[in-house]
Amino acid sequence: MDIGEPKRIIEVIPASLPIPGELAPEPAPLEPDHVEPDHVEPDHVEPNHVEPDHVEPAAPGDQGAEP
Amino acid sequence: MTRLSTPEAPGLQIDTSTEPLIAWRTWALTGRRDGSELLLRPVSGRARPWRPREIAEASCRGARFHRAPQTGCTCGLHGTHGFEILRKTKNPTVLGRVAMWGRIIEHEHGYRAQFAYPQRLKLICQFCFWEWGPRCDRPEHVGWFPRNDLIPLCEEHLHLAIRHGMEPHAVLNAARVSQRLLDAYAIDALAI
Repeated sequence: MDIGEPKRIIEVIPASLPIPGELAPEPAPLEPDHVEPDHVEPDHVEPNHVEPDHVEPAAPGDQGAEP
Repeated sequence: MTRLSTPEAPGLQIDTSTEPLIAWRTWALTGRRDGSELLLRPVSGRARPWRPREIAEASCRGARFHRAPQTGCTCGLHGTHGFEILRKTKNPTVLGRVAMWGRIIEHEHGYRAQFAYPQRLKLICQFCFWEWGPRCDRPEHVGWFPRNDLIPLCEEHLHLAIRHGMEPHAVLNAARVSQRLLDAYAIDALAI
């Protein structure tokens, strides 16, 4: 199709692209606000104290009884 | 802002702008027999398709190291100032408005641009468009032809086409094809 003689050149740099929203480039993330790092005190944990099982000594005669 | 012309484009004024240019344009349309996978294509048939949701970018096959569009060449994404000139286009099936940006060469009757994307679209019966212009009634049917060509036709011109041996392999509802096209490209209908 003949659109005639050239007249001028235009360099168009649009402020926003005329394309559907989902094609538009993601905006650059904002700089995060300055956040103090969390100060977390470690939990104070007592070491486990485990009482040994108390075992009753076997009564005499229980062991090795013949049927 | 106006700059002096460059050696690349001697004698041509160079302006800059932040507003995309809006132009008229026609396309051919292809798709599957069921009306899916719709794709706008240049009416010349030789250039790359305009894919849905992708920015169309000009390229030039004529010269490998040449930025498109280039003065002294015909490359670039074409658009016209008015729609009347488009009535002479070969086999147009979609008429629309297109936004253009990047490097653009303005001609007497239109533009050649580096980047573009459709803004508004409308299916047209090419016979009605040739005869009456863009304000003709919307076509009722879309014929599906070999090589996935989709051709919108009004009732009268569909029957005329069939009588002259141009029978579509399938006939689709134009309103449904139109809505699918607008959804695919995520744009609105041309309101004329």
